[in-house]
Amino acid sequence: MGKPTVGIFGLTGCAGDQLVILNCEDQLLDLVALIDIRDFLMASSENRTDCPLDVALVEGAVLTNRDAERLRAIRQRSNLLVALGTCAVWGGVAALDRGADRSQLLEEVYGEAGHGYDSSHAQALREIVRVDLNITGCPIEKEHFLAAIAALLNGDTPVYPSYPVCTECRMQENNCLLMERGLPCCGPVTAAGCGARCPDLRVPCIGCRGPMADANPVSLLEVLEQKGFDRRQAAARLRTFAPEGVA
Amino acid sequence: MKILKLPKEKLDLFASVVQQFGELHAPVEQDGKFVFRRLTRWSDARLEYDRTLLPPKKYFLPPRETMFRYRPGEGFLPNTEGLDQRLILFGVHACDVYALNILDRVFAGKFPDPYYQARRKNIGIIGIDCTPDKHCFCRSMRADFVDHGFDLFFYDTGDYYQVLVGTALGDDMVLATGSVFEPEEAADIDDYKRRSWNKRRSFQLDVEIRDLPEIFEMEYQSEIWDDLGGRCLSCGSCSMVCPTCYCYDVVDDVELGSRGGNRTRAWDSCLFANHALVASGENFRGPRASRIKFRFYHKQRGFVAEYGRPSCVGCGRCITACPVSIDVVQVIDRLRRVQDVASR
Repeated sequence: MGKPTVGIFGLTGCAGDQLVILNCEDQLLDLVALIDIRDFLMASSENRTDCPLDVALVEGAVLTNRDAERLRAIRQRSNLLVALGTCAVWGGVAALDRGADRSQLLEEVYGEAGHGYDSSHAQALREIVRVDLNITGCPIEKEHFLAAIAALLNGDTPVYPSYPVCTECRMQENNCLLMERGLPCCGPVTAAGCGARCPDLRVPCIGCRGPMADANPVSLLEVLEQKGFDRRQAAARLRTFAPEGVA
Repeated sequence: MKILKLPKEKLDLFASVVQQFGELHAPVEQDGKFVFRRLTRWSDARLEYDRTLLPPKKYFLPPRETMFRYRPGEGFLPNTEGLDQRLILFGVHACDVYALNILDRVFAGKFPDPYYQARRKNIGIIGIDCTPDKHCFCRSMRADFVDHGFDLFFYDTGDYYQVLVGTALGDDMVLATGSVFEPEEAADIDDYKRRSWNKRRSFQLDVEIRDLPEIFEMEYQSEIWDDLGGRCLSCGSCSMVCPTCYCYDVVDDVELGSRGGNRTRAWDSCLFANHALVASGENFRGPRASRIKFRFYHKQRGFVAEYGRPSCVGCGRCITACPVSIDVVQVIDRLRRVQDVASR
């Protein structure tokens, strides 16, 4: 059996997740020995843009018709499609304005010229196509990407934490920023996997990895309200990276 | 059991000598709370403390550990790193010693756990008596006093500590310190009794555990479980800080390009959405309410059936760690309360 063919793509986003892949410097040689990266515009000027792929890794959210068409074309040529990063998994920061009138926003920013833009509210990949695996994070964790490749090569899927950042924070025996200092920490509803990186440095979690499975934001909102936070602002904070409807 | 006394001014001397038996760890302050940590200076130790964020469980069942390395054709190689390190935990409260005695029954009983057992063998425990605060209910859980599970146990009786010698290792620590320990006198006995009586009176919480498993049995359909399920964040904080929560999840960290890797385990919690998820996709405790209900039932009822007592020791950590103020004492009070049947 030949090496699995892989494509790595970016839709609308900051390209940070693709950069994480390129930053796996110690594993890059092993990676290219194990997988055949055919299409990766960010890293190569010679790409096969039409060949079938065993695995497609797609970063970014869908914000234009062009994004949606590209995504459908990627889905069509790929056996497995992996959403890479919070934008791809949840819509991300760009999805903050999903409730707003798009044409009005375009006019506010670009004036009359705004009407001609190909622009729609941000959508997660799974709102457009079938997604086989989600690797969340803003950006993704290097280890999670490598674990995914290692598992996929064995015909398996990786296991990521199903619990929230709180759990990792407690394991590290940190003081609780929410309870002890009254800070608006999103740790109780945010998917773990980052090792509670921010709370570990006494910075409250902003929820950049998106919600964990079976999160209970309503209960956390009540706690934040009791601590004196405005309910709407607190709700907006919890939704920074994952809009209602997707989360 | 041997009972001696140690003048308080000799405690520093004792602490310096005891280090020859292992690396010294004790409660130290961390932003107004306490954590067990390796001491760099004896003066950092805080022997008068309420409770540590994590219980001493973290030394015996670490939050994460590699169990073994496996390779195709080579089999597996158990991880022994750190297992033989000698530590002394100085200042463990009775409830936490009791909790370790409970963990012994789980990890050193029917299914011996070599990792836990090696650490238990190599980690010495010097207990210390404490003053209950508003979240302590160890007396209700019969865990306010321990007669085993420690090498030495210190009781602060004013100008000196009364010291119970629990093991041969404890006895060695005493002998190594030379003549700083003194024999007990009649007046000391009264000091001990006075302290014991004062401690007994200082508990602010009281939970009746007799017939509690039966009450739980009767209240299986109570609306309280849905209420708790609505509030619970499934953050697992209560399990992480619990001195007797022993669930762990086993995961293989597969190495890139190999079928080998490391088998690791990490603390798990019955509050997590996938705790009762099985390979078919079936989840026996899908709803949050059924998960938090399970936690209470296992602590207060299931463990009693298996081991003859609740696994809760009344340390109060889960009460102080829950972001949505779920309080085990209040839950039990509510379950015990007589309700107007017509209003049900």
